[in-house]
Amino acid sequence: MKAPAQTPRSVAFRKEREGQWYELDRLVEKALKSGLKALDASELHRLPVLYRATLSSLSVARRTAMDRALVEYLEALASRAYLAVYGSRRSTRGALRRALFETFPRRVRALGLELALSTGFLTLGAVVAWALMSIEPGWYDAFVDPALAGGRDPYASTEMLRGALYGEGQDVHGDELGFFAQFLFVHNARIGLMCFALGFAAGIPSALLLFSNGLMLGAFLHLYHSRGLLFELVGWLLPHGIPEIGAVILCGAAGLHLGRAMLTPGRRTIRDALADAGRRSAMVVAGAVLLFGIAGLVEGIFRQAVTDDGTRYLMAAFNGLWFFGWLFVAGRSRVTRPKRPRPAATAATAATSSSSEEAA
Amino acid sequence: MREKDQAIEIIGPEGVPLHFPAATLSERVMAFGVDMALLFLGVACVLILFVMAGAGSGSASIMGIGIVLAFLIQHGYFIVFETHWQGATPGKRLLRLKVVSRDGAGLQTDAVIARNLMRDVELFVPAAAVSAPEQLYGDAPWWMIAPTAIWLLVMLLMPVLSRERTRVGDLVGGTLVVRIPKAELQSDEAARSSLMPGLPQGDAITFTTQQLGHYGERELETLADLIRKIDQGKVTPYDLQIVATTIAQKIGFGGDLPNRLPERFLRSFYKQQRAHLERRLLFGQRKSSKYDG
Repeated sequence: MKAPAQTPRSVAFRKEREGQWYELDRLVEKALKSGLKALDASELHRLPVLYRATLSSLSVARRTAMDRALVEYLEALASRAYLAVYGSRRSTRGALRRALFETFPRRVRALGLELALSTGFLTLGAVVAWALMSIEPGWYDAFVDPALAGGRDPYASTEMLRGALYGEGQDVHGDELGFFAQFLFVHNARIGLMCFALGFAAGIPSALLLFSNGLMLGAFLHLYHSRGLLFELVGWLLPHGIPEIGAVILCGAAGLHLGRAMLTPGRRTIRDALADAGRRSAMVVAGAVLLFGIAGLVEGIFRQAVTDDGTRYLMAAFNGLWFFGWLFVAGRSRVTRPKRPRPAATAATAATSSSSEEAA
Repeated sequence: MREKDQAIEIIGPEGVPLHFPAATLSERVMAFGVDMALLFLGVACVLILFVMAGAGSGSASIMGIGIVLAFLIQHGYFIVFETHWQGATPGKRLLRLKVVSRDGAGLQTDAVIARNLMRDVELFVPAAAVSAPEQLYGDAPWWMIAPTAIWLLVMLLMPVLSRERTRVGDLVGGTLVVRIPKAELQSDEAARSSLMPGLPQGDAITFTTQQLGHYGERELETLADLIRKIDQGKVTPYDLQIVATTIAQKIGFGGDLPNRLPERFLRSFYKQQRAHLERRLLFGQRKSSKYDG
């Protein structure tokens, strides 16, 4: 008995589709070499179509072709095309606006528990510092880095402390204060990034960093309180402190989120839980860096220009308004629920009883 | 010593598994080196420019802007390039590497941000621990230093320890770094005309179904490799004769043809054997090797 056909089916299969493969190969080579921007509109349109056609060729070849060289080629071609097609999303119109006013606040709100913990650690630090300093003011040196204190310590006179709040008696030029604010932005943003990244150590360093920042805050507050300057200090602190401390809390919460994903991954593997947490908190940290920038601007420009307590509190209220509005209101879905038509009394009682049964 | 390529399987949105070679450690280090050199150059240029401008105008604010810009460049470099160049920085493009999302979906901006935010902790903190330990640890007691040091060491060695060469940033971003595979389509032996010099026309060698029933896919692949070597002129006629007569003997192909025209015999056999196996495959009968029923 003679074998029927002499030419393998995969030969015809290849002949029919080869053209598409070469076309895809050419587009992919171009895209990988100089980016998707190198493709013109019709080529961009062709790319995904050819990619899917090649994927289907690959699936067929894997099952039916006995030509390993062919399967390997298709495998490599499809993989290359995947990189070109799914390399990254092209930014669409309004992507930045959406990221800022929708994604960022939503991601922040999703971190509810971590935000509470983060605020808790910071507050705990402040309370501990306050308590210790009311027993022994010398603790101040342990909590505050002298480089950041700039002479504002328990050994300074009340006049000097007051002067520091209003920019008096300082021998520095106003311009240098601007420099100091920019330096502070970089310094703070670094700490914020650290606070997030250290969350990878099960969140412990993030918690410690928050706590130590709280210590510093508490020590400052107590120092000024002991001289009867608390009201003035808070007025000085709040305008830039709201975005700045808020950003520290956000970064800390993001770090704690990483730690939490590692410690309690739930049903997912730790790897998956960590990646999920990392992606979700990345946007929060990016937003926090922006907040540090805003705080730096307020610190550098507003704080030195305005020395009136009332205006400072007004600015603080304004900052608080947009800050909390942005984080807790922005990006909520604007879909208004249709009002339920008021049902007849009997139907209403039936509905409530059935829903209470469901709840039970 | 060359590192062995580790295959990474990624299932794209279409549901077809694709395979990539993981970027080796040396490739990643080289790409990082290129990027760091560029980054250092950029930051240095900005700083020098602004410090000079600041000194010239006597304004410290301009210097401050330089510091802020340097910070933004340092942290934005990788993020901007990886989002705008489809997961590649200049260094990665040079070494043909790409960042891909482990879940197979498109590479999202937040994954890129996450993987790059970790770099500071991953590289610069261990570096600080080695170069300036007193600054990092301060006067912390040993029971705090020891776990920190172990932790830093594990973090630093993560790419060496993990099979897919993932660093901590890759874990947190859910990403992998792969090498762009090379694709080259070789000519298909079976697509060639069976008419070759050496035999009168029409006198094609044909095998019966029974003769084609002996070998499976693995033997076919071996034969394909041999034929590719013939094309490259790497096989002696004597070897061909041995292979051809062995096959003829095994499948019961009589006559002196395998001995006389071994190449012709092998090429015809390959083509028909493949046609036979592919036909059987259509009926769901896979024969992976000659031992396979």
